[in-house]
Amino acid sequence: MTSPQSQMAAQMAAQLQSTRSLPVSPAWVNSFVSSSTTALQRNVPISALTQTALFRLLASDLRDSLQTNNPATLLPVDIFDPTVQERRLQGPVPVQVLDIEDIGTSLWSQLEAIERVERGEAVRGREIVRAVNVGDDEEEGAAGGGGGGGGGGERSRIGPAANDSHGPHRLIVQDAAGTRAVALELKSVQGISTAKLSIGAKLVIRNATVARGMILLSPDCVTLLGGKIENMDQKWKEGRKARLLARITELQGEGQSG
Amino acid sequence: MSRILCVAEKPAIAKAVAQHLSGGSFQTANVTGNRYVKNYQFDFNFGGPWGHCHVTMTSVLGHLTELEFAREYKSWLSCPPGALFEAPVHEAVSSDKTAIARNIQQQARQSKALFIWTDCDREGEHIGTEIRKQAQEGNARILVKRARFSNTERAHVLNAARSLIELDDLQANAVAARIELDLRIGAAFTRLLTLQLKPLSSALEDTIVSYGSCQFPTLGFVVDRYLRVKNFKPETFWGIKVLLLREGIKVNFLWKRVHLFDRAAVTVMLERCLLAKTAKVTKVNQKPTSKWRPLPLTTVDLQMMGSRFLRMDSQTIMKVAEALYTKGFISYPRTETDQFDKAIDLKKLVEKQFPDQNWGQYARDLLDGGFRTPRAGRHNDQAHPPIHPVCWVSPAALSADEKKVYEFVVRRFLACCSEDAKGQSTEIEIEYGDEVFHAKGLLVLERNYLDVYVYDKWESSQQLPKFQLGESFVPTEAKIFDGETTAPNYLTEPELIALMDANGIGTDATMAEHIAKIKDRHYVAVNTRGGGRTAVKELIPTQLGIALVEGYDNVFAGMPNNPSLSKPFLRKEMETRMREICAGSRVRQEVVQESLDMYREYFVHTNRRINALKDAIRKYLPN
Repeated sequence: MTSPQSQMAAQMAAQLQSTRSLPVSPAWVNSFVSSSTTALQRNVPISALTQTALFRLLASDLRDSLQTNNPATLLPVDIFDPTVQERRLQGPVPVQVLDIEDIGTSLWSQLEAIERVERGEAVRGREIVRAVNVGDDEEEGAAGGGGGGGGGGERSRIGPAANDSHGPHRLIVQDAAGTRAVALELKSVQGISTAKLSIGAKLVIRNATVARGMILLSPDCVTLLGGKIENMDQKWKEGRKARLLARITELQGEGQSG
Repeated sequence: MSRILCVAEKPAIAKAVAQHLSGGSFQTANVTGNRYVKNYQFDFNFGGPWGHCHVTMTSVLGHLTELEFAREYKSWLSCPPGALFEAPVHEAVSSDKTAIARNIQQQARQSKALFIWTDCDREGEHIGTEIRKQAQEGNARILVKRARFSNTERAHVLNAARSLIELDDLQANAVAARIELDLRIGAAFTRLLTLQLKPLSSALEDTIVSYGSCQFPTLGFVVDRYLRVKNFKPETFWGIKVLLLREGIKVNFLWKRVHLFDRAAVTVMLERCLLAKTAKVTKVNQKPTSKWRPLPLTTVDLQMMGSRFLRMDSQTIMKVAEALYTKGFISYPRTETDQFDKAIDLKKLVEKQFPDQNWGQYARDLLDGGFRTPRAGRHNDQAHPPIHPVCWVSPAALSADEKKVYEFVVRRFLACCSEDAKGQSTEIEIEYGDEVFHAKGLLVLERNYLDVYVYDKWESSQQLPKFQLGESFVPTEAKIFDGETTAPNYLTEPELIALMDANGIGTDATMAEHIAKIKDRHYVAVNTRGGGRTAVKELIPTQLGIALVEGYDNVFAGMPNNPSLSKPFLRKEMETRMREICAGSRVRQEVVQESLDMYREYFVHTNRRINALKDAIRKYLPN
């Protein structure tokens, strides 16, 4: 019964649980171990193998790879309830990102920024530059812009300095059981931005406040593990411009009827 | 006594220089065949190896020669437009300048040396080489020198006459390269566009659809902004406002996030504030602050500030400034330099303004102890100082426009020599729930330069009551406000100049011309928004202007590196190469070949996809 393989699987699962708070499902870890026979034959150390497992896990859909038998590692199923003023989410709850949105910037400026990238341009102050020439400045621009706290409104903002988002961001996250929730970046969390965070990226939330159905994110309650789910991420990126356009159109409709 | 021939760029400069060198007594002779150019004769001691000389001071009228295609390529239908990239070109004296050229040849014959007094910039250097060529045709052994000057004030001119330098052939070469590229590229594209597009619309019957490598990106900026305004969709945003009544003062705290575009999120944030009940003061910053006096004045700044504060377009401003310079009231108005050389006696220049009714007293106060050395910017073109007044002139001697520009130049100069404005700023930051808010107060203590530089505004705000660091209070009110995003405004001329400057389109000397050109060609129209003192002139593209930019963007759509001619990239590369010629790191022929190869490729592409342009014309213009 306790074959070396299943022993190894158990060891790896324990490792992922203790270092990353990821309760891997036995089925997933077993299939991972049995698919790694060549590595096993070559006596690859277990720590290296665990690292590979983590990498796969971050690229997987959590609904397939994590256990769902411990409610403490899941979101409450009624988490969205807007009548609950405040509750605590003890966790740790691993979740994956399904959507991210910059609510500090108008949809229209986000759309303009996407179109600039499509044309191969970037804006540096008043200067329009070919995006290929921007290079490392982009990172600095984003960091500098983030500290500005929202900038001076639409009129003065001819164009964001870099092609990264200002924030705060609103995310839709999903747990291993498939429960979805809205998360609001109440305090800036490094790595959360439309350019840096992929769809399917994994976060672990612990000891967070949930207010009116929104999980309030701050650096002390989020651990960003990263990763992405390739096909979802690609679809999200391809459809982003169309979604922004559709929402703008929708808003105009509301404006006219209201 | 040897004879010396001096040649200036314009008759007015020749006369001004002749006046200073001769001490006022010179003889004037007409030049056969030209009404404007005169020869002024007098004696002058140039010192050094030259000593006492008989001088003839004359001038040209800008460029003497023109680059043109060989005769068989001149007619529009003589060759396919693409042939103009290789067609032979030659430099010839312009037909209306032959009398001037002949005058220089004749005068050179009897002269030992030629001293060139053209403006000290790239174009002036090139005009200098044109003058030299004519003089050498008259006298192959004539010696050639150049005077370096940036205004026509007496001492400055005398000093220039006694410290002559060499003509800078590198700068002249850069101009020659630019002229050849502009001719070939401009003619090829203009012929192609005009021949192909004209038959499409009755609106194009009497026009030329021109292309210029600066003109087009300039138009591109106007169209780009226009489309952004047209396509704009407003969106609602929400924010949180916190109010505190203390010591009878209403203190408004502004949200650090300004506003967000998600109502639910803002509602939750406000609720978190209200739940927290008290706000805590996390920062009380009271510190001296100052508003910096302006930097010394450059051409681009003059054009931008001028069109903003004086309500004149940039081309008019430059014409007026040019006139003020020619008359000797201000220094050369084409300069990139925003730092004063240590050698300039600034106090003396301030002193010259004593007689003025309006700012004379201010100038006196400056010399009574208020004087400060001007701030130095980071630009120095090594040719001209920042624009400054050279002497005082009575307002009665100036036209209305001249008065405005002169006043601006003087006030700006006096402001540069003044102390910064001083004040005290107070910033209070509070934490309320998870949110941060702040309130700011400003107390202006000393106005200093603001007293003379009436164009800057800096005023005390409402005063804040006392706050203690770490204290808590219950805000009187906290609530959500909403608002809507607004479209950007159409491009104004100062903004366009700033864009051209940042993107390397044109030089400080030519920007105004490019803007005037796209107006002349009816690619853009000027529209006045608002009225009275707040009226703003906006640039709006015509249907033709939009059609050309859209058409060109479509022609180049999908090509790697987005080489559309409505974008500034190509021109910027060309400008960089001109600078390399000036610096001596590239040679003229190589640069011309390289740029022509690049543009030829785009020309071929345009020719192949001309239908994209035609479609755009059909879309926007009646047929």
